Amino acid sequence: MAMSAVARDTVFALRRQIAKIEGTLPERLQAPAPGAPIDATGSDMTPDMTIIRHGLAVASANAFLHTGIERLDSALGGGLPKAALSEIHGLETRDAGAVAGFALSLVSLILREKQGLPILWVGTAEIFHEAGLPYARGLHALFGIEPEQLLFSEAPKLLDALWIAEEAARMTAFAAVILEVRGSPQRLDLTATRRLHARAQSANRPVLLLRQAGEADPTAAPVRLIVSAAPAANRETVAGPLAGSIGRPAFKVDIGKSRTALPGQFTLEWNPDEHAFAERTENSVAVVPASGRGADPAPASGAVLAFPAVATSATGDKPSRQQHPTHSSPRRAG
Amino acid sequence: MISHRDNNTQRIAALDERAEALKLKRGMGIADARAMHPSIDVVEADAEADRRLLEGLADWCDRYTPLVAIDAEDGLFLDVTGCTHLFGGERAMQDEILTRFFQQGFDVRAGLASTPGAAWAAARFHGDRIVAGGEEEALLAPLPLSALRIAPETRAGLESVGLRTAGAVMAAPRAPLARRFGATLLLRLDQALGRLDEAVSPRLPVAPLSVERHLAEPVMHTDDIERLISRLAVALKTDLERRGEGARTLALLLFRVDGAVSRIAVGTSRPMREPRLIQKLFHERLTALEQNIDAGFGFDLVRLSVLSVAAFDMLQGDLTGEADDDDADIALFADRVRARLGEAAVLKPVVVESHLPERAVKTVPFAEAPQRRAPAAGRTAPPMTIYPPERPVRLFRSPEPIDVPATEIPEGPPMNFRWRRALYRVARAEGPERIAAEWWRQLPGEEEAPTRDYYRIEDSEGRRYWLYRQGLYGSVEQAVPPRWYMHGVFA
Repeated sequence: MAMSAVARDTVFALRRQIAKIEGTLPERLQAPAPGAPIDATGSDMTPDMTIIRHGLAVASANAFLHTGIERLDSALGGGLPKAALSEIHGLETRDAGAVAGFALSLVSLILREKQGLPILWVGTAEIFHEAGLPYARGLHALFGIEPEQLLFSEAPKLLDALWIAEEAARMTAFAAVILEVRGSPQRLDLTATRRLHARAQSANRPVLLLRQAGEADPTAAPVRLIVSAAPAANRETVAGPLAGSIGRPAFKVDIGKSRTALPGQFTLEWNPDEHAFAERTENSVAVVPASGRGADPAPASGAVLAFPAVATSATGDKPSRQQHPTHSSPRRAG
Repeated sequence: MISHRDNNTQRIAALDERAEALKLKRGMGIADARAMHPSIDVVEADAEADRRLLEGLADWCDRYTPLVAIDAEDGLFLDVTGCTHLFGGERAMQDEILTRFFQQGFDVRAGLASTPGAAWAAARFHGDRIVAGGEEEALLAPLPLSALRIAPETRAGLESVGLRTAGAVMAAPRAPLARRFGATLLLRLDQALGRLDEAVSPRLPVAPLSVERHLAEPVMHTDDIERLISRLAVALKTDLERRGEGARTLALLLFRVDGAVSRIAVGTSRPMREPRLIQKLFHERLTALEQNIDAGFGFDLVRLSVLSVAAFDMLQGDLTGEADDDDADIALFADRVRARLGEAAVLKPVVVESHLPERAVKTVPFAEAPQRRAPAAGRTAPPMTIYPPERPVRLFRSPEPIDVPATEIPEGPPMNFRWRRALYRVARAEGPERIAAEWWRQLPGEEEAPTRDYYRIEDSEGRRYWLYRQGLYGSVEQAVPPRWYMHGVFA
């Protein structure tokens, strides 16, 4: 091969640098297969120099946080990058609860690996006043985050909040750093977010940027998710879903920006018992186990003669059908 | 000339030499003075400003001794025991103090003696005198009674019986004096003569450790100050190591050439002695204070003192020489944020046993929070309820009043509500969860706080809120209708 070893090294170094700037690893050096003869491919081309060009999802599988939802993971190109800045948007301040809940569920997923590490929540005084302070009692029940693991930092100004977040992002002692701001401040520009992103990358820790009531400004974050609240499903009980109750938290997640640039909208439900997401494809208020009503109850004594069609058509959790057969009876139509 | 109001008349409180030359005196009425010399310039006395000036001077005197006390409205006590040799002896020290005050534009009288009382008299009646130990009696004897620091009434009483000098009082029999003029007189006399100890209470607590550096060339730049801090911290480290302690509060005193003193304190959440870390903390503090520190013509004395200490636990490092301690990292991070942004910049939630949601979690500054608990072996965890009541993800600082036009049934959840000027339609509601006020905190005689009925609400767009109604509908004795509040949001 004509290329000298020095030149090749330079090319590799440059490619690696480009990859680092892009935040991806589009190329990877393949390790030699164990047991393969070293000199098989040629004298000047050692096998560990082979470059393999991959698609988009290339970096090691461990670099991504899997949300557990196949569709969302593939739309994001493998999951949420762990060592990166990720933006989570709420369109209005009143969505702060959903945005905080979604961010905390991601943190809860992160904490599966890094158990016991603390979390820092940095916010401006404005946002804590407008949207309230995260409530340690609620977090423990829903996300399994102990109050001892939480640290808040309230900065009077955005500049101070950014400074705190930057200092915290470079530390490995935190499992995650959450920076919450309101609106679209001028200071939170490409440069500021790039600094945060770079620190998150080098510390190998996620930084979540929560923006309430903000515009989709250009930032250095590779992923932007837009989160709003979705109606919760009913509570599950032994006797089936409890009508009119408010069950597990649910979020509507839009992908605003990702490396694959695939659009997508998802309705996720957080399972506080298993600390995992579940996707809801339909309006799951109506989704009910088949045996919830109808099949299992003890058969009535004697022969059932009247209304045979009503019993078979009861598909949902609408008990009213059996209780009010007039809904489906032909008499009403007449 | 400075006047003050005394008994409804303006009187002369202080006057300069030129006014004295005009035969004006302290205590003279301003009207009389003006009648004698219509051209005099009269300024109203400002006791507060005088006080501030005196405190500034006391700060400056910190350079000679840490024990500086303010005496009434025009004096300073400096306890220089053990400090004089640093300035070349008593004479040299007193000269230096007088010279430097003179250069700053103050006309100062000083006296140095082995008792505060004798020094007080020496300063006021001699101006510049050093009284050796044992000479107190000789000093005081010829002086008038006011040299004894006694009340004017006592003085007048003594003068009326012919005792006009301190020496005459000393010669008089003690018992009748005490009977007639009270114990204070003898106490003052004994204190001045050194028969009784008199404690001078310093303005500031004395630092257990401090290191300082006098600079021939004043420093002005923050970088230079930081470099000095790290040098001082190195000196401090050996002292701390010898004592087996670490610093919890550190103070940096910057003495400006023209007498102003800046005092910068930082606190640490863990005992600290590492010079690099100390410098880091001061770096943050100095950055935050950049505008507030006026270097002027530079600082000529920099002192780093440890205000409070705590036992320092040595940590065993591993073979690579790095003790991997995440908590220490976080403590340092919290200290740095605190140094820059103030005490409440890093908060930690602490769970408190209480039913009231706002009281159940207390946020305390990081330094005051208990250390992260070690897994307790003997203690059993408190019993968990199987279904703990649902609590919101975010709680508002204070419940926000909302407007509820109608509820379906009187004690039920609202049908719609208005919060922050937007109308919300309630789709589903859960509740109520009734939380009563904590009667055991109620003071006797205080009106009983109304109970709250909390509802989980989901609005038509799927957002979940935590509302509560304070009070009950339809109670006879209660004139105020119940009010609704928004307390938190759910995920």
